[in-house]
Amino acid sequence: MNGIQPPTIEYGQLMPLLLVFGAAIVGVLIEAFAPRYLRKAIHVPLTMLTLLGAFGLVIVQVLRDGVPTAAVAMGAIAVDGPSLFIWGVILVLSVVSVLLINDDDNFVASAAAVPGSPDEEEAIARGGAHTEVYPLALFAIGGMMLFAASNDLLIMFVGLEVMSLPLYLLCGLARRRRLLSQESSVKYFLLGAFSSAFFLYGMAMIYGYAGTVDLGGINDALGRVGGQDTLLYLGTALLGVGLFFKIGAAPFQAWKPDVYQGAPTPITALMASGTLVAAFGAVLRVFWVALGNLDWDWRPVMWGIAILTMIVGAILAITQTDIKRMLAYSSIAHAGFLLTGVIATGEATQNANSLSALLFYLLAYGITTVGAFAVVTMVRDAGGEAGHLSRWAGLGKRSPALAGIFAFFLLAFAGIPLTSGFFGKYAVFAAAVAGGALPLVVVGVVSSAIAAFFYVRVIVLMFFSEPAADGPTIAVPSAGTAAVVALAAAATVVLGVYPQPVFDLADAAASSLFVR
Amino acid sequence: MTTHYLVLSALLFAIGAVGVLVRRNAIVVFMCVELMLNACNLAFVTFARQHGNLDGQIIAFFVMVVAAAEVVVGLAIIVTIFRTRRSASVDDANLLKY
Amino acid sequence: MGETITFWVLAVVSVSAALGLVLSRRAVYCALMLGVVMLSLAVLYAVQDAPFLAAVQIVVYTGAVMMLFLFVLMLVGVDSSDSLVETIKGQRFWAIVAGAGFAVLLGLAVGNAVLSPPAGLLGATQTAGGNVPALAQLIFTRHVFAFEVASALLITAALAAMVLTHRERLTEKPTQRALARARFLTGGSVVLPGPGVYARHNANDMPALLPDGSVSELSVNRVIARHDVEDERFPDDPKLAEAIKQAVEEESK
Repeated sequence: MNGIQPPTIEYGQLMPLLLVFGAAIVGVLIEAFAPRYLRKAIHVPLTMLTLLGAFGLVIVQVLRDGVPTAAVAMGAIAVDGPSLFIWGVILVLSVVSVLLINDDDNFVASAAAVPGSPDEEEAIARGGAHTEVYPLALFAIGGMMLFAASNDLLIMFVGLEVMSLPLYLLCGLARRRRLLSQESSVKYFLLGAFSSAFFLYGMAMIYGYAGTVDLGGINDALGRVGGQDTLLYLGTALLGVGLFFKIGAAPFQAWKPDVYQGAPTPITALMASGTLVAAFGAVLRVFWVALGNLDWDWRPVMWGIAILTMIVGAILAITQTDIKRMLAYSSIAHAGFLLTGVIATGEATQNANSLSALLFYLLAYGITTVGAFAVVTMVRDAGGEAGHLSRWAGLGKRSPALAGIFAFFLLAFAGIPLTSGFFGKYAVFAAAVAGGALPLVVVGVVSSAIAAFFYVRVIVLMFFSEPAADGPTIAVPSAGTAAVVALAAAATVVLGVYPQPVFDLADAAASSLFVR
Repeated sequence: MTTHYLVLSALLFAIGAVGVLVRRNAIVVFMCVELMLNACNLAFVTFARQHGNLDGQIIAFFVMVVAAAEVVVGLAIIVTIFRTRRSASVDDANLLKY
Repeated sequence: MGETITFWVLAVVSVSAALGLVLSRRAVYCALMLGVVMLSLAVLYAVQDAPFLAAVQIVVYTGAVMMLFLFVLMLVGVDSSDSLVETIKGQRFWAIVAGAGFAVLLGLAVGNAVLSPPAGLLGATQTAGGNVPALAQLIFTRHVFAFEVASALLITAALAAMVLTHRERLTEKPTQRALARARFLTGGSVVLPGPGVYARHNANDMPALLPDGSVSELSVNRVIARHDVEDERFPDDPKLAEAIKQAVEEESK
């Protein structure tokens, strides 16, 4: 019987991650011990300070130690340049989303009470609230960070579940239209579990091929192992199914509109920004680090998926009549644009270019998305948020400032110059052209144009049609929501006018590529 | 022998996938997902013996942990929606349509 | 030789049980079939040098997970069964075609891989002194972070169950005194019969009688009553037969 050598854990480098998980556990303890009336007053500062602190730690780490060059925690996690950038992006987006979550009135008073029952009315009358959403959101954020920074497939799977389980739950906690919300929760859960089973089987096949689930180890095995190519191809395909589901690429996009529409809007904002960023981090790790030398085999399939995703997202967005569903389809189209960057691999410099473009795009898109959903929470009528597009008619005449900001966000989605979306798209498409994916870029530009048509239609609807007599009211925003809208608008302008510092940062993060 | 085990696991996985697609009771759909996870575990254990390293068994162990947590969350969600609608059929959940 | 026999027996058992899971209409049968699959897989793990996983499979899957499934099935109504009407036309047919194609694809992929004879786990386990110590060594060194993070999953699960199903008591629990007062004030039946006082049988299918001799509808077993109506076998007692019919009518409303 041998003793076990204690593992080496680089606590310093893992600190942002550990801080987020630690705060989540403290949050659970608060739920258990703090009196009800104090809970929210403790949770909000705790959550905000944690996220800001973790963001600060990321920056301090980069300034003090530079970018680490080896995997940490016994090779389980890779805290490299892209990871640190993605962590920063996820943390910024979560701070903004938590400001939205903090806004009252979005979450159910008592999730266990049947909708419409006397129990529910009583819970609302007594001002019940589920403060558990804060620790749950922290767990989800920690899962996102883990998912994007994993260095082996096992930790990636665990991260995927840590990220998803709280989100399945949070989706079902909307205060209004609770049936819709619960339904979205069930759908998200069943489809998510189905897709993670595919991810897992793909992982089994890759393990069978390589004998390891280490991303670097898989890459080494690519040249060494012979006669088992079928396992490798099958594994790649099934892993891809699991990952494409999470980013919502066609044909695995079906859950996105339903879930985005049903979930409480702050949670939709967190999912649409944070989950997408984390999932792209994971996609890049699997397809670039582990299967990078197999790119001749996966590239044709990914071409097809990227084209399909862009077209499906852009065309189906046109037929939508609900604002949240429309934003969901727009998110699908953007996932397609991002995939063009994933395809554009080549030499090391080319890879670094694509990676830096992708990182910039993820930041720009994420922040604009959170802003757009923040605006959605403010346009309300008697039944809660006014989701149907016809209710938005004439918004520009009732509330020009808000409508103007929303129009600006839509223009950023469309990629009009002087917005962050323009530089994001430009960088990704330029990298794709350099990577030899010109036809993809053509499809991308065409579908951008199709999508722009729809965004412009919404803008026209807001500014040039008569407001309905019983139109929605604009809720006076809470300080948090107002700050979110202002921050997102400012970031969209700054990244659209003077993006160079962020580009430099993304370049620096991408230049060392991923550690193996 | 390894191939036999793998074909068995592939068969169970495919049966589970068909079950997810054809069944409509949310609880049964979820059971089919569990069947798929079990099939994955069989593949992991088989490959662990094939390669002579224990990573596969470790992964299977973690899959069991994850599955246990997932079952709790999933069944809690399903019970909630059942209490609202008195039905666990995924067809009755059809408010979200475009 | 022993392994081959075990494999073939359990392969047949587990595949038929898996088919049973997909095909049987009643959710409880599905759960039992899933239990059979899980037990067969536990034995297959044991055969393949994974004794620890075999034990965990039985404890976690057949013990905890299956119990949870059965528990929830009881909660939502054990007699819930799927309707066989297809909502999407041809969905079942195409799902089965796709599934068969998928099975063939998977089977060909794993069957075509040229595999050397298994290396066996003897080397990996011997140095550590057995399967469990070897696994422990890996879990607490190489995979320690995954192990720690898994706790986040378990906490999330506990929190989820609490949030979604725990109803906090908002009002005081009524005392016996308050209940009695309410009953007297509404002028309902003042004295309730004690349990079993008016029963003529202790069988489950015999409803209880109220003090005035009529059948208490509350005590008619719904499942048995439904079967009675379906098979048209009513008891001789006309009052009882009437109560059974009413119970089923109310159920179907």
